[in-house]
Amino acid sequence: MASSIPASVIADRRWEVLRRTAGARLAPIGAVVLVLALVVAVAAPVVAPHDPIRQDLGNTLAPPGRAHWLGTDNVGRDVLSRVIWGTRVSLVAGFVSVAIAVLVGGLLGIVAGYAGGRVDGLVMRLMDAVLSFPPLVLALALGAVLGAGLVGVLLALGVVYTPTFARLTRGQVLAVKARDYVDAARALGAPGWRIACRHVLPNAATPIVVQASLSVAFAILAEASLSFLGLGIQPPEASWGSMINAGRGYLQQAPWIVFGPGAALFVTVVGLNFVGDAVRDALDPRARG
Amino acid sequence: MTVSRRAFLKTSAIAAGVPWLGLGPGAAAAADPPKKGGTLRVGFYIEAATMDPHLSGSKIDRQVYHNIYEPLVTLDAKLGIKPGLAESWTQPDPKTLVFKLRRGVKFHDGTDFNAEAAKFNFERMKNEPKSVRKGEVANIDTVEVVDSHTIKVNLKKPDAALLATLTDRAGMMVSPKVVQERGAELQRNAKGAGTGPFEFVEWVRDSHLVIKRNEAYWNKQGGPYLDRVRYRPIPDDVVKLQSLQSGEIDVMDYVQPRDVAAVKADKNVVVLDVPSLADFAYQLNHTRPPFNNKALRQAVAYALDIEQIVKGVWLNVGVPANGPIPPTSWAYDKSIPFIKRDLAKAKAKLAEGGQPGGFAFTLTTNNIPINVQEAEVIQAQLREVGITAKVNLVDSATLISSGNAKNFEMISYQWSGRPDPDGNTYQFFRTTPGTSLNWSGLSNPQIDALLDKTREVSSQAERRKLYSELTKLLQDELPMIFIVHPIEPKAFSPRVQGYDPIPDGMMRFKDVWMR
Amino acid sequence: MLHLVLRRLAATVPVLLLVTAGVFALLHLTPGDPIDAMMAESVDAAAKAALRTELGLDQPLPVQYAAWMGRLLRGDLGHSIRNGEPVVESVSRRLGPSLQLAALAMAISLLIAFPVGIVSAVRRNTAVDRAGTTFSLFGICMPNFLLALLLIFVFGVTLRWLPISGYVDPVEEPWDGLRSLALPAVTLGLALAAVVTRTLRSSMLEALGEDYVRTARAKGLAEGRVVRGHVLRNALIPVVTVLGLQLGTLIGGAVITEYVFALPGVGRLVVDAVFARDYPLVQGVVLLIALGFIASNLVVDLLYGLIDPRIRHR
Repeated sequence: MASSIPASVIADRRWEVLRRTAGARLAPIGAVVLVLALVVAVAAPVVAPHDPIRQDLGNTLAPPGRAHWLGTDNVGRDVLSRVIWGTRVSLVAGFVSVAIAVLVGGLLGIVAGYAGGRVDGLVMRLMDAVLSFPPLVLALALGAVLGAGLVGVLLALGVVYTPTFARLTRGQVLAVKARDYVDAARALGAPGWRIACRHVLPNAATPIVVQASLSVAFAILAEASLSFLGLGIQPPEASWGSMINAGRGYLQQAPWIVFGPGAALFVTVVGLNFVGDAVRDALDPRARG
Repeated sequence: MTVSRRAFLKTSAIAAGVPWLGLGPGAAAAADPPKKGGTLRVGFYIEAATMDPHLSGSKIDRQVYHNIYEPLVTLDAKLGIKPGLAESWTQPDPKTLVFKLRRGVKFHDGTDFNAEAAKFNFERMKNEPKSVRKGEVANIDTVEVVDSHTIKVNLKKPDAALLATLTDRAGMMVSPKVVQERGAELQRNAKGAGTGPFEFVEWVRDSHLVIKRNEAYWNKQGGPYLDRVRYRPIPDDVVKLQSLQSGEIDVMDYVQPRDVAAVKADKNVVVLDVPSLADFAYQLNHTRPPFNNKALRQAVAYALDIEQIVKGVWLNVGVPANGPIPPTSWAYDKSIPFIKRDLAKAKAKLAEGGQPGGFAFTLTTNNIPINVQEAEVIQAQLREVGITAKVNLVDSATLISSGNAKNFEMISYQWSGRPDPDGNTYQFFRTTPGTSLNWSGLSNPQIDALLDKTREVSSQAERRKLYSELTKLLQDELPMIFIVHPIEPKAFSPRVQGYDPIPDGMMRFKDVWMR
Repeated sequence: MLHLVLRRLAATVPVLLLVTAGVFALLHLTPGDPIDAMMAESVDAAAKAALRTELGLDQPLPVQYAAWMGRLLRGDLGHSIRNGEPVVESVSRRLGPSLQLAALAMAISLLIAFPVGIVSAVRRNTAVDRAGTTFSLFGICMPNFLLALLLIFVFGVTLRWLPISGYVDPVEEPWDGLRSLALPAVTLGLALAAVVTRTLRSSMLEALGEDYVRTARAKGLAEGRVVRGHVLRNALIPVVTVLGLQLGTLIGGAVITEYVFALPGVGRLVVDAVFARDYPLVQGVVLLIALGFIASNLVVDLLYGLIDPRIRHR
């Protein structure tokens, strides 16, 4: 492992990573997709052509046309508008659950790595327990306790991804602990938390970002899967997952109900993966070769 | 309601007393004699729970039971009661029923069916700790063996609905020898236990359940023709339909309303519209606000457009409901209209109830697609008069608990229905302290008196009048808002012949054969 | 080696305690009662109460947990509330199909991942690499019920090559059994393939950059020898990790696939049990899944030792 690296070099390294990320061929596509998704989510009330919950029982299962670019669903609602509004739900599901996991997991990881010994052991056992716990049982139970809405799903996914980030941060803490400048800093009297902030976090940032981008993608997919079991967003709101699920039965009659949200889901998840991959590749020093 | 032409032909054929034999094109002139053989593969939406009819609480078990077990009395296509294992019966006084049992019937394990066996069964239903039939036979006081094939059933109170109850699980006879030798195992293994046209072979849970033809069946008229029937649970209804369309199964128990039109157009599949005994409603909680206020209940009822719901959500695979009694029942009164939408009256009732600008409440409903759709339509309809319905989706177990604990404001409720109107009414609307199926907490002395009378009176004509009165009262009191009496379409491969539908929705394969 | 195994087993106990206590608490917090759910159409309050007492469901929670623990220590995982079947029987019956499905899915994923991952790594940043990466992305980015739907539609309904639903045991009927597992295994396998491909690719890239590879190349060894001899072996470690981790998901988490294809697997067993509030069944299955997960982690670690001699001697 590399020996002590002064802070300025770390900063330079980070710029380099960013530059290389931007340079990677697929990254711009991913970035564009993400930005587009964010814009659509935020501007949904403006961008959506119709009211997403307005029903029109006289015009159900209409194929894509001038009035409804993506057709209508089984109660006559505009599919495109629902896909646009669904962006909010999916992005919230992805980002919030991963944010929970990063915060809780990160904290646990730092504590475990830094404190070491019994505390470390306890935290890691806890993380093992969470990993061995079937995520679906957790999601179902939380859904029944908190009501089937999005909050239960966010909590469940947050809990499920926590061990990943805990392990990641802990690993980073252990690596940093071994470096000389930490001993030097401590010898100089710097408090533990300051060391953690100044040295651990910057180093851990990049692997966390990589993992987070991939986890967000998985979380968005997981929300779709959980809606299959009846958890997640409540009617009449829509998420991409609940739309795909509700439209499954109409696949032969009205495939646009499934493919509209399906395409949105696919594109967003692919975009997130491109970004995550690009950062990871950029991080790899051997990529230069 | 649009009745499919096929169904129309069928009902008229049955009304004329002509046995309905064929289903395929040109089948009305079916001259093909039934032939023996073949395995009928049936797809159901859920796995059976138990093979012990006295311990069974689930609807799907009954589908298998009606082929391997037999009740004392059975239903005909018009829900009339006809002889089953009991050849005839008399009622010397309102509190006594005497059944003359059929001779020469043997259980699949070879033992005789006789009065002792019948008495054993009734006592098991009453005394077995886990028996789910206790409530159904609660009115039976004692059963006496008069002679080898006659039993006398003494009732605690007159009960006009009892005979209809005995057409299902409460009347099914299980071999005493099987119970005594392997009672606990009966839940999973029903070998030798019944008297029906088919006998139990094996049950590999969540994979398949197989029954085979009973060569020693007592009824020599007609079937059974099939060699075997193989039940398979296919929980996903999209996949279930595809399995039928691709020929992997031959029979499907239920076609979703959204698929009915497409399936009817498919030449590889035959659809039969079977009107059911079921009702689909929303219970309103009378014990707490806002629905302890009758005017607000009526406001919601007038604001709903039941016709639109049946047309838009159920796609007319069902009939708007005027009350708990389905059109297939002799007690149905078609002169009573269902509650039609009237926004003016709705607004007036809102004002009467002290909420002229509308109000908000929580609608608790089951997390299945059609319930969700219906809830969304209801939300939209109520919004037009300022009533905000917040939807709370829950799973079945939570729904049942909430209902039992009266922890809801408006909650969805589906009842699979019973052949006697008593089964669709008494337990829901009679004042009952404690936990019961009367989730709404309705307590109306007039309704109580009516319900009690329907059990005491034995003339069908008189009972019919009572039920009409009850229906009108229910439309006023609104313990439930009734939406639809669903039709339960069943789908078959064209090779399947001889299916005779009975409105209780149970699929009996005795006279079915395959081309 | 033995030391490692024993140490890991000892660490397992507190984890299992945490998991079972967690499930227990969570289950009992959820509204809904198994008896009510089981006897939904019954009016008999007395019978329900009697059943609850018989099953000990009216006791305070800590007492119930202690009782369950006590039975567990005697080797009794209890009986399903719904049908009285011993939990161990329920699980062992469903384990077969789940394991078969998992094995088949893993095989499919390796069949795809090996060629694609290796070629992508060796021919880095070329069109082949980009194609391979994009293809593997496809597998991860589709919700699997959508993939299942499409596969059924194409291969089951339209082409009629494969059965749509149902399970036939390949041990008893090899050809029909494999056909019944084909579509579900592909559904799971494609997603898994994506993950394995990426892992293999990145670990191969890392290994290809190592000093000893440059040395081998400098010594004049053929590229193929280099790859096969040295790089692949070292690149396998993360792949084995990933597969091991995924095994748990494949068994306990293939619920949707099992549901759509009507396979009697462990995933559906546990989900159906949660819906029915069948407490003993849920607790027993979760415990067994957790045990399985821990066991597979242990096996993965042991395999590390086999692949990487450096680890063996720690």
